[in-house]
Amino acid sequence: MDLCDYPAYQLAGMVRQREVSANEVLDSALKRISFVDGRSGCIDPGDITPEDKLKIHAFITVTSDLARTQAEAVDRKIAKGEDPGELAGVPVSIKDIFCVRGTHSTAASKILANFTSPYTATSVSRLEEAGALILGKANLDEFTYGSSNESSAFQPSPRNPWNTNHVPGGSSGGSTASVAAGEAALSLGTDTAGSIRQPAAFCGVVGMKPTYGRVSRYGLIAFASSLDCPGPVARTAHDTAMMLKIIAGVDPHDSTAANVPVEDYLLSLEREIKGKRIGLSPDYFRITFPDPISGTFQQQPVPGEMEQAVRHSAEVFGRLGAQIIEDVPMPNTPYGIPAYFVISRVEAASNLHRYDGVKYGYRTPEKTDDLRHMYRRTRAEAFGLQPKLRILMGMYVSAAQYSEQYYTRALKVRSMIRQDFDAIFDPGGKYRLDALLTPTTPTTAFRMDALYGDSVLMQYADQLTVPANHAGVPGISFPIGFDDQGLPIGVQLIGPDFSEGLLLNMVHAFEMETKADPWRQVRPTIIKLPGKQG
Amino acid sequence: MTDYEAIIGLETHIQLNTQSKIFCACKTDSWYDPPNTNICPVCTGLPGVLPVLNQKAVEKALLLAFAMQAEIRPVSYFDRKNYFYPDLPKGYQITQYDMAIAKGGFIDLPIPDSSGLSTTSYVRHIGITKLHLEEDAGKTKNANDERQIDFNRCGVPLVEMVTGPDLRSADEAAQYLIRLRQLLRWLGVSEADMEKGHLRCDANVSIRPAGTDYLNTKTEIKNVNSIEAVRDAIDKEINRQVRETNAGHRIEAWTLEWDEDHSVLKKMRSKETEADYRYFREPDLLALQIEDAWINEVLSFQPELPLARRQRFINEYHLPEYDADILTNDRGISEYFEAAARSYQGDGKKVSNWIMNEILRILRERNIQENDLFLRPTDLVEIIRMVDKGVINSSTGKALIEKVQETQMKPAEIVKSENLAQVNDESTIQAACEEVLKSNPNEVASYKAGKLTLMGWFVGQVMRKTQGKADPSIVKSLLENLLK
Repeated sequence: MDLCDYPAYQLAGMVRQREVSANEVLDSALKRISFVDGRSGCIDPGDITPEDKLKIHAFITVTSDLARTQAEAVDRKIAKGEDPGELAGVPVSIKDIFCVRGTHSTAASKILANFTSPYTATSVSRLEEAGALILGKANLDEFTYGSSNESSAFQPSPRNPWNTNHVPGGSSGGSTASVAAGEAALSLGTDTAGSIRQPAAFCGVVGMKPTYGRVSRYGLIAFASSLDCPGPVARTAHDTAMMLKIIAGVDPHDSTAANVPVEDYLLSLEREIKGKRIGLSPDYFRITFPDPISGTFQQQPVPGEMEQAVRHSAEVFGRLGAQIIEDVPMPNTPYGIPAYFVISRVEAASNLHRYDGVKYGYRTPEKTDDLRHMYRRTRAEAFGLQPKLRILMGMYVSAAQYSEQYYTRALKVRSMIRQDFDAIFDPGGKYRLDALLTPTTPTTAFRMDALYGDSVLMQYADQLTVPANHAGVPGISFPIGFDDQGLPIGVQLIGPDFSEGLLLNMVHAFEMETKADPWRQVRPTIIKLPGKQG
Repeated sequence: MTDYEAIIGLETHIQLNTQSKIFCACKTDSWYDPPNTNICPVCTGLPGVLPVLNQKAVEKALLLAFAMQAEIRPVSYFDRKNYFYPDLPKGYQITQYDMAIAKGGFIDLPIPDSSGLSTTSYVRHIGITKLHLEEDAGKTKNANDERQIDFNRCGVPLVEMVTGPDLRSADEAAQYLIRLRQLLRWLGVSEADMEKGHLRCDANVSIRPAGTDYLNTKTEIKNVNSIEAVRDAIDKEINRQVRETNAGHRIEAWTLEWDEDHSVLKKMRSKETEADYRYFREPDLLALQIEDAWINEVLSFQPELPLARRQRFINEYHLPEYDADILTNDRGISEYFEAAARSYQGDGKKVSNWIMNEILRILRERNIQENDLFLRPTDLVEIIRMVDKGVINSSTGKALIEKVQETQMKPAEIVKSENLAQVNDESTIQAACEEVLKSNPNEVASYKAGKLTLMGWFVGQVMRKTQGKADPSIVKSLLENLLK
């Protein structure tokens, strides 16, 4: 085990206690990157080589100079006896959907490939102020539009550290891959429909989508503004809690950031979960999707191993004294995806308007006097398939003559999904749940090329995660073992608004209870490659 | 030949005079600043930025909404209006669409007759159909084959206020703008300078046969930068529409641009089908909640409105409409008048005369505001009282106003130190009169021969001899006696 494999809380402790220097931690992380990451994503990658296929390519930009400056600052503070911050010397990767001053902030799109941000996102500045080392900008699906990272304009796209023939998931796939592979101890991701939780499940790490508004969106390049949530990716509940505590809270730059006090999530971790009520819902053990020919809804149970994973976790929670409540109805779950398709695309199409070749980013090299032609060429040349599809659909469903039929209706569905959660979490209601336990994803990580291009199927992979985004409630995915291919399986806990402390408490209890399980001793293949790591 | 009446609606954009912009901390007023100096990531629409609503802009909009008798929505929303234009950096404008801060509203507009004395000939009821908050876009300039964009104006807070099709002539439209400008300055919500674009106006114009009640196709006039130009442009457009209609042509829904240099309207474009702006709620801002406590706090700064004060001055101080109109043109002057009139407790019209003739002249000549005057209302009253009592004569009083402003001394001190008190001692005046007559025998002869107009000249000579301090009426009667 190298320094970079240590949990963030231990690293920060060791740095603060002068057992190691921030510079040494950084050296370890950069060394790991050089062993496992391969070349960073770029917009003119040439052919993907067999060597590329053995690496994880988590980064678009490795900001080693920035991290070095920060490490030196931490070490200087320690030398002077000043407080270096709670995350002193902890290497962190940042999904490249966040603006960080002086770095390329690309959203994994050609249209922003040359954009250097003049300002830093609130969540990132909070990490910096806490002494974290910003290692680099992690790859993602273009503008976060995807579940595999393959839609990134920056190739090679990230690969799964447990098996590089599989995707890391997405859209925060670079983030989760970097954390799983020990390149970064923590990563800042975003979750609009499952974009933290799904890749966390695929990569065997912990990923949390906090309550909407818990973490400021200022500096997050928007996808669907009413659904986007920045959140932590880490290897343990403890590290997740530590990171969330730093990034959460009210922000004068974001009026949708909640003015609710941030609890000390670390203090919540050690509580007993005895008597907590955890629900299981049949609506989360099946996937509903429209038949492309008839348009009628079809249902299909999630694979047995996924349901088994949830039931196994429920047993663990049961052993810890939680009450497991079966057959909790979540009747509007199947409509989450269609409603999401409409709402997110309306917001996305509007959010993408600003990329017009006028002020920053890509502009067509073609000379023209015609403004509209410049817009069309610029956007045609620099947006990938996913942004184009989303613009088309978003424009269509928000047009004056269709808006009522689609957008207004989708908003109604959204409030019905919220009501499902209100009902089960209502302390005076029938179920009085503290959390709902579900599979995070219908499957484990799929093979590279397996689904890309079939955007409907990829989106249906979000069916179990998107309801929490509609409802604004927090959800957390955590690893519980492996499938028969050796790929990680994640399960999800969803709680009421601002219940992050309790969710982290439950996951921490689960981790402690399963600490000695053999599956916990397995390390990602990428780290075990012979001769690659000393 | 058919008689036509004009149907006019005005769409105004009012720039609120807040310190900072509506969604960021950049300075609002960039009139004297070079392009692209008051900008930041937020107002230039960089990736990842979010708007944060300036509460002061809301308060100013509330003041205006109340003054227009509009209903305030306790919960209103911001929406995105999506369109592409280089000076719109986000590709959408944050505005209010179907649930704006205010609903309805009106103003009863006194329309003066043509006497020029502000006598109200009738009152026109103007309905307000739209009053909402929004952000301004930037400015585009074409120069040297380039399109140049200045983002300074991006995010400047605006209220868009639209009237119903309730105005019936170019003069009424001009009156509306005059009263609106007066109100905006009165409330302190906008500098309302049309030349600087603080108040922008588009006019929708159509005509119909007098006595009918349907609406015909309208044209829209844009880019008019003064009230005079609005009047001129509307007049020209009404005449054009009458000519076209009489010639059997149909009026088409054109957008017309006012060419300031040549005072002509030019066709900008035919109005195609209504653009689809794909409005939807701005997800980056919360609903705007306006609680009663906030309204009450804002309204505690709401002054009496100009038209109400004008009417009250007529009733309470028995001023002619003309005086009331002028004295309420500016809020500061109206307050100055009222303070003086209350302190004087006599003929309001006399106070009005002093202010309209003397005070307004000083302000004009020195290009200062009422609150720059060292002469406060009580000082003015002191001067008027000295004149009333014959301590000084009225021309000394007028000169005194200037002297107070220059020396920053109190009127009574100046009278004393400069020995300005009127000479009322008849023997002194008698002696002066006799001396004047003695040294001007030719004039005396002419006067006695019947040239009575020379009396004014004799009075002037005596006043000069007494350094203006004699009471001219006493001088005149003494001279008349001596010349009998």
